[in-house]
Amino acid sequence: MIVVQRAPEPGGAGGFYRAFGETLRGLKTTFGRLVEGPQTYQYPEEKVPVYPRFRGRHRLHRFEDSQLEKCVGCSLCAAACPADCIRVVSAENTPEHRVSAGERYAAVYEINLSRCIFCGYCEVACPFDAITMGHDYEMSDYNRSDLIFTKEMLLAEPLERTPLRTESE
Amino acid sequence: MPRPEVKFVTFSIDGREVEAPEGAMLVDGAKYGDVEIPVFCYEPKLGEPVGACRMCLVEIEGIPRLQTACSTPVRDGMVVHTQTERVKEAQNSVVEFLLVNHPLDCPVCDKGGECPLQDITFGWGRGISRMVEPKRHFKKPLELSPLIAIDRERCILCYRCVRFSQEVSEDYQLVLHERGANSFVGTFDGHPYVAPFSGNIVELCPVGALTSRAYRFRARPWDIEGAGSVCTLCPAQCNVEFTVRDERVLRVLARENAGVDDGWLCDKGRFAYQSIHSEERIVQPLVREGDELRAVSWERALEAAAGALAKAKGKVGAIVGGQTTNEEGFLLQRIMREALDSPHIDARATGAAVPLELQRALAAPGLQATVPDLEFAHTVLVLGTDPIDDAPILDLRIRRGVRRHGVKLAVATSRPSALDPNAKLWLRYAPGAEQAFVAALDAALSGADGFDALAEAADADPKALLALAAMLTADSGSADDGAGGAHGGEDVVIVWGERLGVAALPALLNVAARLGLDGRPGAGLLELPAGTNGRGLREAGVQPNAGPGLAEPTQADGKSAREIAAAAAAGELTTLYLLHSDPLREHADRRLWERALERASTVITHASVMTDAIREHATVVFPAESYAEKEGTVVHPDGRLQRLRPAIGRPGMVRSEWQLLTDIAQRIGHDLGVLTGPMATQQLVAAVPFYAGLTLEEIGGRGVRWQEREAAAAAPAAPAGPFDAGTPAPAPMPNGALRLGTFRSIWASTEVEISPALRFLAARQQLEISPADAERLGLVTGDRVEVGADGTRVSATVTLRGNVPAGTIFLGEATAESSATELLGDQPRLVEVRPA
Repeated sequence: MIVVQRAPEPGGAGGFYRAFGETLRGLKTTFGRLVEGPQTYQYPEEKVPVYPRFRGRHRLHRFEDSQLEKCVGCSLCAAACPADCIRVVSAENTPEHRVSAGERYAAVYEINLSRCIFCGYCEVACPFDAITMGHDYEMSDYNRSDLIFTKEMLLAEPLERTPLRTESE
Repeated sequence: MPRPEVKFVTFSIDGREVEAPEGAMLVDGAKYGDVEIPVFCYEPKLGEPVGACRMCLVEIEGIPRLQTACSTPVRDGMVVHTQTERVKEAQNSVVEFLLVNHPLDCPVCDKGGECPLQDITFGWGRGISRMVEPKRHFKKPLELSPLIAIDRERCILCYRCVRFSQEVSEDYQLVLHERGANSFVGTFDGHPYVAPFSGNIVELCPVGALTSRAYRFRARPWDIEGAGSVCTLCPAQCNVEFTVRDERVLRVLARENAGVDDGWLCDKGRFAYQSIHSEERIVQPLVREGDELRAVSWERALEAAAGALAKAKGKVGAIVGGQTTNEEGFLLQRIMREALDSPHIDARATGAAVPLELQRALAAPGLQATVPDLEFAHTVLVLGTDPIDDAPILDLRIRRGVRRHGVKLAVATSRPSALDPNAKLWLRYAPGAEQAFVAALDAALSGADGFDALAEAADADPKALLALAAMLTADSGSADDGAGGAHGGEDVVIVWGERLGVAALPALLNVAARLGLDGRPGAGLLELPAGTNGRGLREAGVQPNAGPGLAEPTQADGKSAREIAAAAAAGELTTLYLLHSDPLREHADRRLWERALERASTVITHASVMTDAIREHATVVFPAESYAEKEGTVVHPDGRLQRLRPAIGRPGMVRSEWQLLTDIAQRIGHDLGVLTGPMATQQLVAAVPFYAGLTLEEIGGRGVRWQEREAAAAAPAAPAGPFDAGTPAPAPMPNGALRLGTFRSIWASTEVEISPALRFLAARQQLEISPADAERLGLVTGDRVEVGADGTRVSATVTLRGNVPAGTIFLGEATAESSATELLGDQPRLVEVRPA
């Protein structure tokens, strides 16, 4: 046998009391927190700080001393990428034109950020720590083709730094 | 030697009963039981195993120590284990040992992702190394040659490249220096490793020690796609796989087909793909306006071509180049015969038409030798051709036969051949005396009178000729049990070049008949045509005196190439159609052709590169497809139909050429009824009786020999011999002057000249002269000379060559500058050499 438990019938004096009472209970919480001040981030003036492990837009790195690129264009990131958004065309270093520390360098390094799923596999695959996931997450644009980031864009310091969360936050 | 019979034996591997061919090495035998044994140095193509890398150790019951599976043949009742602890420990240790000096720089290594060392380390390695000592270091990367980079740190000393150089290509250049841990690969005095087949060691290397400089760092295995097709740069038509990235061919790999190439490629086939993406390539239709060729729309170019052709009805001559597919040739001959009423179409660079009955006799299915026959025959006679230039991969096949199967090789050429050192017997005759030489050979075989006179006419050594005849008819006694028992004697394969000339063919057929080659399996004739698809074009009816399928032509005989040139020069033909052909470069008598092109009112050409002939004479230029873009079929010299498949898209405005020919026909007012490429193939198959029923699916990736199909019975009946060999003209006597012989080097082609990697090899004009003549003329190697006859001069650099017969010199044809064709007329020439 099935017993159906029904809520009290809406309407009537009991119904009015229940609705009003629940509203007041909610308002109690609202007014109770009012003294703490607003919690809203005023984006875009104010950025949401991210955790250090946040996986945002990629960055390519140089060696700090020699300023050579760490990337040797091995394409392992492209192989690891599940979204197939990385394209690497490598070339050979010459003594006159030395770009990276190894024999080869990435002549073309492009990431299609409109395809990227920010899984971070490229960072894991990289044998030279040349690519890391940065903290930038502002990547909207007016044009799809503008979302293809070239090597120069990925190597450059981001114009604005995304704030990081401190340990206490 | 007759092919060995394969017997199967049963052995046990990992507890499974497996049947494998007797004598197969355990590595191969294990595959019959789906067991993989890892190997580095083992490569059956290289010949006997060496057991250098020790990777393939297995445990065999009854033998106390582990054995190398690559050098232990399978025996009946053998019990093999590959998965025991002992074997695993050995494999782990071998991998660890091989990696002792390996730099593990996979991210920068070009082999990464397709590296057997990576794969085997992953599959059979321990994963850690106990090696803490410093690894050995070499300067790197170094050029082993302009085509190959060597990184000695990565080398695991498997000997594959050295074995290739020593035992397959037999150029004996690569060696291992030093001993033990200090061993390294190099040429013995450090000179660059330049050889016609050097590129194969890149493909053989199981690590990244040898890499192609042209492909270096271009792509990773996951960036690329493979596209199988056929290389059409020479008649050998090796099966290749194009490596394609972003619609560009980046590399060419061999696609092993025992019936064609045995898995090797020559350097031209491997590196001349660069010509496909050359800056110099013509990618849009051009039409002459005044003195200039202007790029125009397809519409205008088609109008111009069709208009000129329609106007010149009956006065059109067509020359078809060797790289044309059967379909293109077939469609063009239909246009010429059906719409333009001028059957003047020829594909033979030699210029003269071959009488139909000789052609039929030569094409008799029973008389054809196959490429593998070269390896298993008792005797191979190379006649009037040097395979290294005419079809390089067959040179390797012949060497393999001599080295591994004890084939007796005889070389009879006018020019010294690369195969001379391997031959049991080599002999020379005077250039231009081919007819006399073959007739003399026939006389030597039959013992007929006049042998001495013929041998003298050919300027050949009569003793050597008699020895050759004895060699060809020798009976080893093994033939009685074989299939050829009816004829006795031995299996003889005669490889002959189209350059032998028409006059020598009746005598050649008589020789074949005397040796009983017809209908004998494993023996026969193998012609190396001058053009890649020479055989296919003939069978498709691209010749003046025969229709498709070597049928009697429906119209009167047309003009052959040389007659076309003469007729055009005389104003009888007003329009010339050059389908992938540059007669100024490829045909004899350059001056006649210059006059012909000058006089012709319209010259329509399909070409991919601008040449002198086009720049000065072409009226309409259609951009030609490259061989990686073509769709269609070609025929191998042994009758194997092979299929070209498009690997990449066409650049610029290039269109498929079967469609272009159909469009032209349409505009002339003749509907060919071809809407797709395969429809052209269907028409061809329907027109050639001995192709009947053939489909593209049947041809597939490996090709199919038409002689092996049932439809071969429909081949036109071969007339019975003997043929009238005529009276051969004696070779011109030098008398102070020098006889001129010519050859076409494999490096003499536009593809080589416009490929950046190969450019350094492009043929320059060299005068090959005997030391005796050089001394008389006071010449040494490297001197600049002028060779002249009748006021024409060709400049060349002197090269002394030991076995060039005195009184004869050799010049290259089809070189970019000062080609020997300038000196060639229809008669053998005497020339004089003067210091420049």
